[in-house]
Amino acid sequence: MEFFDSLILGFSTAVTPTNLLFCLIGALLGTLIGVLPGIGPTATLAILLPITFFLPPLAALIMLAGIFYGAQYGGSTTAILVNLPGEASSVVTALDGYQMAKQGRAGAALAIAALGSFFAGTVATIGLAIAGPTLAGFALSFGPAEYFSLTIFGLLCATVLASGSVIKAIGMIGIGLLLGWVGTDVNSGSERLTFGAVELFDGIEFVVIAVGLFGISEIIVNLESPESRGLIASKITRLWPTREDFRQAWPAVIRGTALGTFLGILPGGGATLSAFSAYTLEKKVSRNPQEFGRGAIQGVAGPEAANNAGAQSSFIPLLTLGIPSNAVMAMLLGAMTIHGITPGPSVMHNQPDLFWGLIASMWIGNLMLLVINLPLIGLWVKLLTVPYRLLYPAILLFCCVGVYSVSNRAFDVALAVGFGFLGYLFRKAKCEPGPLLLGFVLGPLLETNLRRAMLISQGSPSVFIERPISLALLIASAALFVLLLVPAIRKTREDAFVEEEA
Amino acid sequence: MANRSELGRKGNHPDLLAGLIFIVVGALGLWAGRDLRMGTAAMMGPGYLPLIVSGLILLIGLGVTIMGLLRSREPLGVVRLRPLLIILVAVGGFAYAAGSLGFVIAAAWLIGVGSLADPESRLREIAASIVVLTIFGILVFIVGLGVQMQLGPF
Repeated sequence: MEFFDSLILGFSTAVTPTNLLFCLIGALLGTLIGVLPGIGPTATLAILLPITFFLPPLAALIMLAGIFYGAQYGGSTTAILVNLPGEASSVVTALDGYQMAKQGRAGAALAIAALGSFFAGTVATIGLAIAGPTLAGFALSFGPAEYFSLTIFGLLCATVLASGSVIKAIGMIGIGLLLGWVGTDVNSGSERLTFGAVELFDGIEFVVIAVGLFGISEIIVNLESPESRGLIASKITRLWPTREDFRQAWPAVIRGTALGTFLGILPGGGATLSAFSAYTLEKKVSRNPQEFGRGAIQGVAGPEAANNAGAQSSFIPLLTLGIPSNAVMAMLLGAMTIHGITPGPSVMHNQPDLFWGLIASMWIGNLMLLVINLPLIGLWVKLLTVPYRLLYPAILLFCCVGVYSVSNRAFDVALAVGFGFLGYLFRKAKCEPGPLLLGFVLGPLLETNLRRAMLISQGSPSVFIERPISLALLIASAALFVLLLVPAIRKTREDAFVEEEA
Repeated sequence: MANRSELGRKGNHPDLLAGLIFIVVGALGLWAGRDLRMGTAAMMGPGYLPLIVSGLILLIGLGVTIMGLLRSREPLGVVRLRPLLIILVAVGGFAYAAGSLGFVIAAAWLIGVGSLADPESRLREIAASIVVLTIFGILVFIVGLGVQMQLGPF
């Protein structure tokens, strides 16, 4: 009955008025920003991260998680209604969702997306509650060698499953690692890579990099291209799907949930990959694949369930192993570190209220989204008429004050200008900034564990091969690397992301 | 970017730019870490991993550059200097003003100058944005969240 005790603990922590309030604020803010095109969930989290420093740790995490899945949800709404996916993960939703809206079935598409997401969120949350303690118990036996191999595996997976060139992604991880090592070396106390700047002796603040790379550079890129605005296809007349819609949608929801939950756990996986894979899967298993792209409800139900399940289950590696699997989770890791929490297996033992409270709040947040958002769809659509030229100055202000407030210094804002420019160059060079952020948060961990492992083994690298778990992880990493060189797999991988870039 | 004219039909510009970034960062890392102690594998010094990783980035940069030269031509995409420069100047000015001139001037500069990045902005809207957002900022950030920044220059 330990499981139920934990769940009760979680719910009793999450249902306090403050935590409920921040869950609601997070979900609403997330939906709001998800609806607005041009600001992705990663940028949103980067910009709003500093605000949560003023909250207690659990409330901060609850709010950030709420923003994340709210943004996911808001992105789907605009994808269906105006063919403008707010986030990468809802690109496939637009394919069939917008067609449904054109046929006057917008209400059914929205309702199926919402119900499918809620179902998937519930299943993935239960999955997290079950898998969490098992994985964390397993991870407690990890030594430095295992952690080093796990970090390598996680970083490599993230490059393989992310979109874009693999070699560039590895280079980006390298840059992230270097940035993570800027400052005082813990072992020797000497300054490194600081170029003599006293302000850098404590290292670079996470928020500076996140806001620069994701916030400021995104605004610049958005301003370069003229505003694109879709047209609202039709009035939403009937919200509830028909019996026939349900009959067709529910198997797709279940398949999408299963696929999303699994893919979300993998490093580098998460919502976007899950949604794309689910769409491909639905198209393969359907008896009428020609209907896809012309308003097939399975094409909305499957990916929507999958992206929500993937978003939810990508919390698993972060909360149990302390390894973030994508840029969004790296943001949450940054937030936890700033609140003095070291994510990993010990969180569950030392702060069970935090761990279970967060899980319970995720489910509550999903429920809130369902209850609040269906009636509010009209309001969200109105938001789309606010022009970007009025929005971005406000976003800029949030970016600047946020960066400044981390340690109340103007130097950090100046540094963010540099990262904004660098982020702009990365976008022009088609380098995804996500892996850099992963490298940055994992750099210190990687070095510490490598040093410890090598110190214990007196400099012999065989320690990584002699320990079975470490060996298995390294073999898996090597296998991934070899697989990438196989042309057929490379091709499939490129195809899978082709729609995303379009 | 620099050798656009000589390349003709070959040359993937995003790759070449990426290669250049990696080479510069790798070289900077090696240069910044030149005085750091390497140590041994058993007792790694502060320079051990940074120097290895910098070297790797440099190599990746060379590899990406060569690939970029061999691959078919692909342009860099739209590059507009107006939003890029204006946004960087607006945020840079905020950084300068936040340290000495106080929040009101910093925020007004950021919003006023930043708004110019979009050619569609109208003067009246910019003025309204400055007033509304500065007051909002004072209430939410300075009063509400207690961000430590003086309001005016004095």
